[in-house]
Amino acid sequence: MVLVLALGDLHIPHRAPDLPAKFKSMLVPGKIQHIICTGNLCIKEVHDYLKSLCPDLHITRGEYDEDARYPETKTLTIGQFKLGLCHGHQVVPWGDLDSLAMLQRQLDVDILVTGHTHQFKAYKHEGGVVINPGSATGAYSSITYDVNPSFVLMDIDGLRVVVYVYELIDGEVKVDKIDFKKTATTTMHA
Amino acid sequence: MRKKGRAVPEWLNSPIWSAPPPAPAPPDPYGADLAPPPPPKPPPPAAAPPVPPPPSYEQAVREGGRRGDEEEEGAGAVLRAHLLADFKAALSKKEVNMGELRRLACLGVPDGGAGVRPFVWKLLLGYLPTDRVLWAYELEKKRSQYSAYKEEFLLNPSEKLRRIEETKMSRKKELSIERTGFLPRLKVTNEEHPLSSGKSSLWNQYFQESEILEQIDRDVKRTHPDMPFFSSKSNQFNSYQESLRRILIIFSKLNPSIRYVQGMNEVLAPLFFVFKNDPDPSSSAAAEADTYFCFVELLSGFRDNYCKHLDNSSVGIRSTLSKLSQLLKRHDEELWRHMEVTTKVYPQYYAFRWITLLLTMEFSFNVCIHIWDAILGDPEGPPDTLMRICCAMLILVRKRLLAGDFTSNIQLLQHYPATNIDHLLHIANRLRGTVAS
Repeated sequence: MVLVLALGDLHIPHRAPDLPAKFKSMLVPGKIQHIICTGNLCIKEVHDYLKSLCPDLHITRGEYDEDARYPETKTLTIGQFKLGLCHGHQVVPWGDLDSLAMLQRQLDVDILVTGHTHQFKAYKHEGGVVINPGSATGAYSSITYDVNPSFVLMDIDGLRVVVYVYELIDGEVKVDKIDFKKTATTTMHA
Repeated sequence: MRKKGRAVPEWLNSPIWSAPPPAPAPPDPYGADLAPPPPPKPPPPAAAPPVPPPPSYEQAVREGGRRGDEEEEGAGAVLRAHLLADFKAALSKKEVNMGELRRLACLGVPDGGAGVRPFVWKLLLGYLPTDRVLWAYELEKKRSQYSAYKEEFLLNPSEKLRRIEETKMSRKKELSIERTGFLPRLKVTNEEHPLSSGKSSLWNQYFQESEILEQIDRDVKRTHPDMPFFSSKSNQFNSYQESLRRILIIFSKLNPSIRYVQGMNEVLAPLFFVFKNDPDPSSSAAAEADTYFCFVELLSGFRDNYCKHLDNSSVGIRSTLSKLSQLLKRHDEELWRHMEVTTKVYPQYYAFRWITLLLTMEFSFNVCIHIWDAILGDPEGPPDTLMRICCAMLILVRKRLLAGDFTSNIQLLQHYPATNIDHLLHIANRLRGTVAS
């Protein structure tokens, strides 16, 4: 039972001052084993805050990140799953599922986590699953102003992943979940 | 006959209590460096004929591990071996006579391959009923109950939720598997998500208990590191540490008032050791379940000592320590005065560990098991018997205590010297009937 927090596109301080209070009160240290962040934090203070939640932090570079040393893409293995991480502004057209599938095949991962569109998505295709955690602060994107703050928490347990989606809609935190399994072959089953 | 009171009773003044107890004449494999003549024992138990100790005893001792300079009770072991026949007779009766069994247990249960001790302890702790016919039924019932506990308490929230869903899913038909497209989002009911702070949330409860689990984990890893039995690499499957861990976790979940207190692992260890080394394979396989219930029984007399809230009340640890003090005062006022008034060596400095850990850390593992024979077997019950034995421990070293100051007394009592256990238990016996006042 490994808990992995996926979030990104916070755009602090340029487009948003901080995470929503309700999110912050839920995110306490000690519960989460890994954090993967798609990018666009943008400043070091946010990095330190995330580090305080969990020491195992993985970040990829978003186009507005002040720290230029983050990599463009990252892959890691958690349990039986290979996860890939990329901000997403590199994949054109932005948010296009087929292009993201190409990236996923390139990285050879079961779950690809990308951001940039500030819209939550969870999509499955033959190669695997693409998850977009959205923007954790609800910062506006180049595409739209109407953004609900959201992030994703994955519970990886053997060959099964339960994805909990946390969204702040009208001031209330709404939680949904998505369940999928991986079989012994590399295909994914919902 | 002089009354008690200021004067120390006659038998206490006997020279045997002052020198380190001598090893008796029969061949003693563990060092015959002290060889004065056997002491005159007041009402003697059966005299021990000079026979070499049986090999199984040595095996058990080697397995048990021993601390440094220990004078093993060679004569005691011989005596116990002779009681083996008595024990077997007592155990084979259709309806076990508890009074008889207790009497025999106080003399010491024989070690070794006969597998007598696990049965005796289970009977003494009330785990097995006295009627032999019911044994199989009771064991079956208890062991399956333990399996149910394991199912309920040892799963983490992911696994629990998955089980709940699987029972629901089996009613629906399996949906088509190969699908591309946006994954369907399901509602989360009852705030059952990992970051929930809801009281009824499985996740929340899990995280709140994780601190206790970590503590249990740490303590289990440190239990008797010198003994290969308890080391984590001793066998390739579930090591015995895992068993201890599970027992303690289940105990802490079922007893929210005391949860887990550091040191319970030490109390658990001898129980588990004895039951696991039962020569009967089916008993040994079910040792974990048996140990759990016997542990609960054993602790039931001492529960109040572990509860923090009761520390200062009339049933908590402080009052237990003051009872010890009173007991000492009644039997040996001179020593009491010297300890409490002159040198200010209060019981909480040394007896805390004696009482809460049931003497497991004061003596070597094997010796401790023999003391437990007496503690469990005594009809007065474990708490009072323990009290008497602690008092006896003090009286046994009285000459040294009387001669010492604060520092040396504390040192002596916190590192209690190896003694002849039969003498110790004999003195404890003499104090019988005086604890409850």
